[in-house]
Amino acid sequence: MPFIFGFSFTEASLVKRSLETIYGVGPKVSQRIMARFHIHPWAKVGSLKSTTLLDLTEELASMKLENDLRRDIQDNIKRLKDTGTYRGRRHAMGLPVRGQRTRTQITTARKLNRTERGGAGRIQM
Amino acid sequence: MMNSSTCLRSFSQLSLDRTAHASLTSRTLLAPQIACFSTSTARYNQKKGMAAAPKRGTRTLNVKKGRKGVNYEMGKRPAPGERKAQRKRIVLSNDNALPVSWLRDLERSNVLEPTIEGQMMGLPERVVDALRAEEAFKPTQGWGLFRRPATLMRKETVQLAGLVKEIEDANAQQQPRTIRRIISGDRMSGKSTLLLQGLAIAHLRDWFVINLPEANDITNAHTDYAPLPGSQPLQYTQDTYTANLLRQMLKANPSILESTPVVTDHKLPFPLPPKPTLKHIVEHGMANPETSWVCFTALWEELSQPGRPPILFAIDSLAHVMRNSEYMSAEFKPIHAFDLTLIRLFVDLLSGQKTLANGGIILGSLSQSNKPLSVVLDHFVTIAEALQSQPAIVPVWNPYLSRDQRVVDALRGLEDPKQKDFDILRLGGLSKPEARAVIEYYAESGMLRHTVNDSFVTEKWSLAGMGNMGELEKASVRLRL
Repeated sequence: MPFIFGFSFTEASLVKRSLETIYGVGPKVSQRIMARFHIHPWAKVGSLKSTTLLDLTEELASMKLENDLRRDIQDNIKRLKDTGTYRGRRHAMGLPVRGQRTRTQITTARKLNRTERGGAGRIQM
Repeated sequence: MMNSSTCLRSFSQLSLDRTAHASLTSRTLLAPQIACFSTSTARYNQKKGMAAAPKRGTRTLNVKKGRKGVNYEMGKRPAPGERKAQRKRIVLSNDNALPVSWLRDLERSNVLEPTIEGQMMGLPERVVDALRAEEAFKPTQGWGLFRRPATLMRKETVQLAGLVKEIEDANAQQQPRTIRRIISGDRMSGKSTLLLQGLAIAHLRDWFVINLPEANDITNAHTDYAPLPGSQPLQYTQDTYTANLLRQMLKANPSILESTPVVTDHKLPFPLPPKPTLKHIVEHGMANPETSWVCFTALWEELSQPGRPPILFAIDSLAHVMRNSEYMSAEFKPIHAFDLTLIRLFVDLLSGQKTLANGGIILGSLSQSNKPLSVVLDHFVTIAEALQSQPAIVPVWNPYLSRDQRVVDALRGLEDPKQKDFDILRLGGLSKPEARAVIEYYAESGMLRHTVNDSFVTEKWSLAGMGNMGELEKASVRLRL
């Protein structure tokens, strides 16, 4: 089982998908990381050399990911809330923050805008 | 006299009229209303849970996979790679087709004769094996309809054989030439088949043959890549692809690789056995993909030594090469296809920047079905076609289009009528005698049940858009009306 950033992945899984399971790595970031180490978009984790795996881990270690990133975002929201801003209040209520209408279609806001923000990833807070 | 349905309708109307009037006259006397012949109201009222709209945010449409109690396993799933193998399967014989008694084989002696023009010729088994190894047969072609592979020696095939003869004559006079051709033509006009015929001719004449079966596979970033150390500007090798190419080359040209000794010292990063042959280098590259490009360059140098056979280097779907590849550089910029080492070698040879030391042909085939837009390539192909047909009217470049300067530099030779070595090979429709030869072969194989006469041939030839080879096959053996 190859390890990237301390997490184990099956050999048959795509490198791109494996990277994107980490909180803070999306399509754009994964593309850039893979291009930096010359990994083609369809590469499987099993086909990577051990040096490349170490390089990937090192690269990811230098980024703000998972709980650090979550804490960062939550701190930002908390600051808004503590200073009593409108944006902070809207976050606390789980309503749209940037002046969208609330008559219909606020499911995304309900899902995302909360003070304890930070969803799927490899580890939970 | 009314028929039954009209009768029923008038009855239903009657009941409606009655209720309408009743409601007008007195509401208290209202009889229980029953819909005339529809039961949907009654059924709707029976349904439970439709009293109010569902609560906000609750999921009413339950189509998620993995629901309990529902069996989604519909039979056995295909194993990994099975569907692709099925899709790419090459069938070269049909036991139900009749063997054609008069079919002659192509041979080393007759392949360069102009007398075979317009005849169907069988491909010998040795060549079929080599072509199969090189993936020159395509799944969409109709080889599986007949007893064994045979092709029509059309006018353009004989032209190509003429080029082979020119190269051999030049080699005999110690003046090696490199002839470059791009095969163009309509959809299904037989471009890939002509490429295959070129490969077959080269095999029969004991040339060294390298075939890149599909340019798309090289540039679409489905195989690994790595920067080539020390290259300026930076080039990229494709180790797995090159290793596979070496495997195909060994299967296709076993006798040349086995019999040719290594004469120069290539400073390879691995030891060679005593008295090494080219096969040893190739086998090492196959087994160790990280050294495959080194092995390929060593092999190329060996083939450039004096006294070695001429080379046919071919590629299909050329348009994929004339643009950025899907690979990304470390700075997240797209890598131009010309920066991939294999493509770079081919394009340098095609543009005339490099020449083959022992002479040979560089052959590229266009594709009309899997074709990315390459305005520069299209422009130069139309120029070259115009130069062949009506030199007075040559199209000019539309200045409002942006163009890829590297592609322009590579293809510039096409607009120069003095460069005889670089040109296109335009594939048109078959002539009527050629169409007749093919149709007779179809009939003799038992795949076409009709007497072959002039009017029948003319009919099929016209249906096929004035002798388009693929359409002719479709109209006469594939479609059963």
